[in-house]
Amino acid sequence: MNTRRDFLKQSLLGAGALAFAKGSSWAAQPAKPPMRFIFMHRGNGLWPRVMVPPGLDEKTLEKEKRKEPFQLDLDSHDLPGWMDPLSAHKENLTILQGLSGKMCTTGHHSWCSSLGVFKANERPSSIKWATVDFELAKLFPSPADHIELACFPLGGGNARGTLDDVATGFSARGPQQPNYAFGSPRVAMEELFKSVSTDQSAKTQYQLDRKVLEFVAQNEGVTAGSLGGFEKSKVGNYADSVEAIRERNRKIDAMSDVIRRHVPKLDPKYLDPGMTTLDRQVGHSEVLLGALISGLTNVVAFTVDELGHRYTGLPGIEGEKVNMHDVGHNKVIGGLKAETIRELARTHHMTLVDRIVTRLKSVPEAGGTMFDNTMIFYFPDGGETHHSHGTEYPFVVLAGDNTRVDLRRQYVRLPNYGQAGHSTLGNFYTTLLNAYGNPIEHYGALDTGLTKFGHDQTGPIKQFLS
Amino acid sequence: MTLWIRFLLVLIPSFLWGGGGLWSAPFVMPDKMEDLMVNYCFDCHDDETKKGEVRLDNLATLALKDRLHLLNRVQEQIFIKEMPPQKRKAQPSETERDQLYDWMNAELRKHKASSLEEKLRYPNYGNYVDHEKLFSGEITDKPFSPARRWLVSPRIFHERVMNVLGLSDHERRGFSTRQFDGVKNPFLLPDRSGVRDYDVTTLDGGHLLVMLGNAKWIAGKQIFAARLKTPQKEELLKGLSSKDRWYPKVTPEAFEKIVLKAEPPTDEEMKAAVEKQFDCVLMRQPMKEELAKYVDLLRSSIELAGNSEGLRQMLFAVLLESDFLYRLELGNGEPDEFGRSKLTAQEGSLAIAYALGDRSPDPELSKAAQEGRLESKNDYRREVVRLLADENYYKGPVDHKISGKNMRSHETSHPKIVRFFREFFGYPKAAKVFKDIERSDGYYQNPGRGTLGTPGFLIKEADRVVDWYLKKDEKVFENLLTTEEFFVYHDKDNETGRKIIAEWTQAYERLKDTDWKENPEKVIEENLDFLNTKKSVRVSGTKSKREFMRHMHFWGETIGKGRTPFTTPSFAHGYTYNHSVFYNLPPTPNPFRYGGVENKNHKGLDDVEFWDYPVEQPFDLSQRKGLLTHPAWLIAHSSNFHTDPIKRGRWIREKLLAGSVPDVPITVDAQVPEDPHKTLRERVESVTRQAECRKCHERMNPLGFPFEVFDDFGRYRHEEPLEYEEQLVSKAKKKNGANLYKTKSVRTSGALRGTGDSNLDGEVSDPFDLIDRLAKSARVRQSIIRHAFRFYMGRNEFTSDSQTLIDADQAYLRSGGSFKEVIISLLTSDSFRYRK
Repeated sequence: MNTRRDFLKQSLLGAGALAFAKGSSWAAQPAKPPMRFIFMHRGNGLWPRVMVPPGLDEKTLEKEKRKEPFQLDLDSHDLPGWMDPLSAHKENLTILQGLSGKMCTTGHHSWCSSLGVFKANERPSSIKWATVDFELAKLFPSPADHIELACFPLGGGNARGTLDDVATGFSARGPQQPNYAFGSPRVAMEELFKSVSTDQSAKTQYQLDRKVLEFVAQNEGVTAGSLGGFEKSKVGNYADSVEAIRERNRKIDAMSDVIRRHVPKLDPKYLDPGMTTLDRQVGHSEVLLGALISGLTNVVAFTVDELGHRYTGLPGIEGEKVNMHDVGHNKVIGGLKAETIRELARTHHMTLVDRIVTRLKSVPEAGGTMFDNTMIFYFPDGGETHHSHGTEYPFVVLAGDNTRVDLRRQYVRLPNYGQAGHSTLGNFYTTLLNAYGNPIEHYGALDTGLTKFGHDQTGPIKQFLS
Repeated sequence: MTLWIRFLLVLIPSFLWGGGGLWSAPFVMPDKMEDLMVNYCFDCHDDETKKGEVRLDNLATLALKDRLHLLNRVQEQIFIKEMPPQKRKAQPSETERDQLYDWMNAELRKHKASSLEEKLRYPNYGNYVDHEKLFSGEITDKPFSPARRWLVSPRIFHERVMNVLGLSDHERRGFSTRQFDGVKNPFLLPDRSGVRDYDVTTLDGGHLLVMLGNAKWIAGKQIFAARLKTPQKEELLKGLSSKDRWYPKVTPEAFEKIVLKAEPPTDEEMKAAVEKQFDCVLMRQPMKEELAKYVDLLRSSIELAGNSEGLRQMLFAVLLESDFLYRLELGNGEPDEFGRSKLTAQEGSLAIAYALGDRSPDPELSKAAQEGRLESKNDYRREVVRLLADENYYKGPVDHKISGKNMRSHETSHPKIVRFFREFFGYPKAAKVFKDIERSDGYYQNPGRGTLGTPGFLIKEADRVVDWYLKKDEKVFENLLTTEEFFVYHDKDNETGRKIIAEWTQAYERLKDTDWKENPEKVIEENLDFLNTKKSVRVSGTKSKREFMRHMHFWGETIGKGRTPFTTPSFAHGYTYNHSVFYNLPPTPNPFRYGGVENKNHKGLDDVEFWDYPVEQPFDLSQRKGLLTHPAWLIAHSSNFHTDPIKRGRWIREKLLAGSVPDVPITVDAQVPEDPHKTLRERVESVTRQAECRKCHERMNPLGFPFEVFDDFGRYRHEEPLEYEEQLVSKAKKKNGANLYKTKSVRTSGALRGTGDSNLDGEVSDPFDLIDRLAKSARVRQSIIRHAFRFYMGRNEFTSDSQTLIDADQAYLRSGGSFKEVIISLLTSDSFRYRK
């Protein structure tokens, strides 16, 4: 007798066979390409004042100082110096100011807070729900669902791990379920691209894992088959889940040609455990690109840095291990002022964004490029500064032409905290989720402090819904 | 076969699958049922009346899907006796109600469409089973639990991992409050008031994803010590992550043999390894077929990757067995005349062990199971009584998750028993309700990094109250509901506290008239020998002047004013006690109060009346009566911004009165209107007195309104501030201080209905009146027993559990209110021991 799982298996195999017959892979060229999202967050806060385009007229500058709402077309304005690497992408760029996130853990080590809009408190039990990147990944499923990369902190913070390992990440799969992140490009490469690895021991491990899953699937299937009613579902769901992972693996195997073509070809320096922070960030960006372009995933969370990370490789102080906490406290390191160090780091982050955008713009997709269907968010994990209160979370957003949120070529300052029409991180993420098919009324915790201002803090930011 | 017949054969299944008209059996309502419907239903639900847009006289003409949907709704209303409405004179007899229910059930079962049967498994619907019937004594059915798999709780999972890794007692103690670096607990109990761990959860893809990572890590650690004996030792040690250096120091012999062998293992060695892993993980031996399959897997994995890696894959595979994550309670042996089988001895030993704690059976219980001494009711009683008397085996923190950098969870001999009451009352939910600090005048600390803040302290203090009365084990329910004795700030035992106060008083009396303010160094020098004899006074080293001055100021404004100070000074490292005000007690000095007192230009201290701390605890607290007036419970049943009389009332209706309240219909926009001139009660009343709301709210509001005498921080009050801009009197005068608003008097009257006792039901003047009546109610006692049943059985009660519940209730009464006797009764009952 055929079980539901057998039926499912046969159907999926059938679908897979059909895909082969047409000579295409799962990731190749679907009729309508999926949306991709990249969340790049960094520690130590992001100062609102460095986001402001230079040369604003006096009246606008006054508004900016008073944090009153206004909007500018970036075409007629220069970018702040550190954003120069993005000057070729101005038509896709928005600088977004005025979002608050006081319902998050702010300042030092905010962990999943800014992605989940709740107080994460460095405690898994505080994770209330899946972070926004995981919610978006559900809307655009892929074989790997979601990939997380991180330059881990070494001191402080819940998500600290060894730099080169897989450890607790900054996203969350669901309530009390922190995600795992790849700490180094090498580990990420080995895991994500193991199906096409040329390394013998990796190949062997790959075969072993497949073998065990097959064994477990059969084993649990037999157990479930001997049960009935409600008890059957207790084992049956588990057996189905094993089967679903095997199916995902089969899909990845079916994509092996595409994956092989897009395996990042990393210079050995990006695989060396002794690499600098800046090289680690570049290496991660390459892995991220490989995973997106090959179709392994549509959503990537990338912890560019965190307060507890020791920065190495900063131009001018290459030999220093820069303690970012000290930078937060304005210490001079290696003769460089803290503000200069902050700027060096930010500028490098923008070169990473440029690298990602430029590469995605070079990949043809559905009559345009892959970037047309991509959004990138660069923002602080803990708010407006080192010891932040969460009144501001500045964002740099890059959005392709097919994205459904009206964020391109603008400098936007939203109403300030407490002003009528003020928006929070929750409103912003609700906007994204609503735009892409999740009708949630409001994503994220509410800010108890905002209630006294008496305005509704739920729902999307309507002006961004195009 | 003609083409026409072939066509029909193809057509038939599609009609059957469609669940629609052509081939579904015609609907026939038996005459008897039609009579009952005519007598009790059609008055309001025929084609003319259609009350609530429900019509029941046309069931036969409805499409199957619509008919099943309607039957489900009607069946539920009949089961919970919501219909016919109580106010109608014509009510069906119990037999008639049963007949209607059974007929509808049969109809629904025919199409596998009974939603009530499914619902009745879940916690929210536990009270659907008729209370009077359960305790009437008229049910003669023999109790049993279904043969089942019950997902392990997060704590049991952690204990099982410790078992697999073969931890010694010493290591086990260390890991009892911390996690393994590579193991993520895949389980999560829901946050709710009421029993949280039910047998209804199924393993799913999320669990599997987590387990894949866990199993890989555990399997690697299991053989790590053996691999260190190979030439790869240096490489392995080098590969250890700095955050994950721990590994079990011994690898089981059966595994080590394979790891250290240069050539492939023999069949016997492979069998021994599989058997050992089954023992470690599943606590049983593999069956013949299982053994063969696993040996095959091991052999082929070794061929592919060598001994160590191949072995690791086999260990990994056993760890992924779903049975590792379930408690198996299937029963075995010859069924009795009622079709029930007893739990096997091993299942019984695990069931007892996990009912009383999180640990696997202790050696004595395991031995009893192995020797066939865990069969009869008396065998169960012997073991349960023994383990309840054992002060050490289960000893540990009530909830290590509330421990933080400034506070440790309360420890006790049987934490799981305390956990029943904290789940039942639901006060740990206080930690999930975030508050606006300013509204508390700066005293409330929300949970933050490394601390659960104010709610953490309050939860621990509520745990202490529970444990105090559990230890006394007399009239436990009544005491928990009515006690006026509480623990506040009690971070040392009474004896230690007394000694500290004696030393401090002695020191202050001796030094208060010296020149300590102007010449502290000299006073220290002259009295150093004396001070050094006082262990609780740390005045030494380079900061001695500062410490001395702080102590003297602290004592001066407490002991010097005839008040006893809290036994941890506010300038002690890690001081965070700041929550006495939520019990309406005076504040204690904040951590910064004595900063800089040693400086010449210090401005001096303002005059504050600090709390006269009772060293001996628990102590009598005015304006409080039992756990329902404990700030932890009041905060847990409040909202972020205000009290929640509806939630508080619902809790009493469901948890103490065994009643139920339907969920808010999706068509209702449940909003309390804003009005700057009204109290919250007035605003709630204005909206819930509407006809469509009243039916449900009259079950909750009159029970919750009396608690309006406590605000949402748990503070007793007579006046409610109207927190609107237009009612502002003055802005806060200090950082994080509260604004001052105009106020309105709080009304505390309410009503108790549903105890089934006319002496108790009626209007109540305030929460204390309500609580006193509740504590005297047999229904309340029985309701708590029902929840205890759910906690220990992991499921809702069936009517066939009637005898078990009556026995537990009687055990409580006979013993003068011993909860231990309730546990013994439940864990020796047929509901606990038999499966069907």
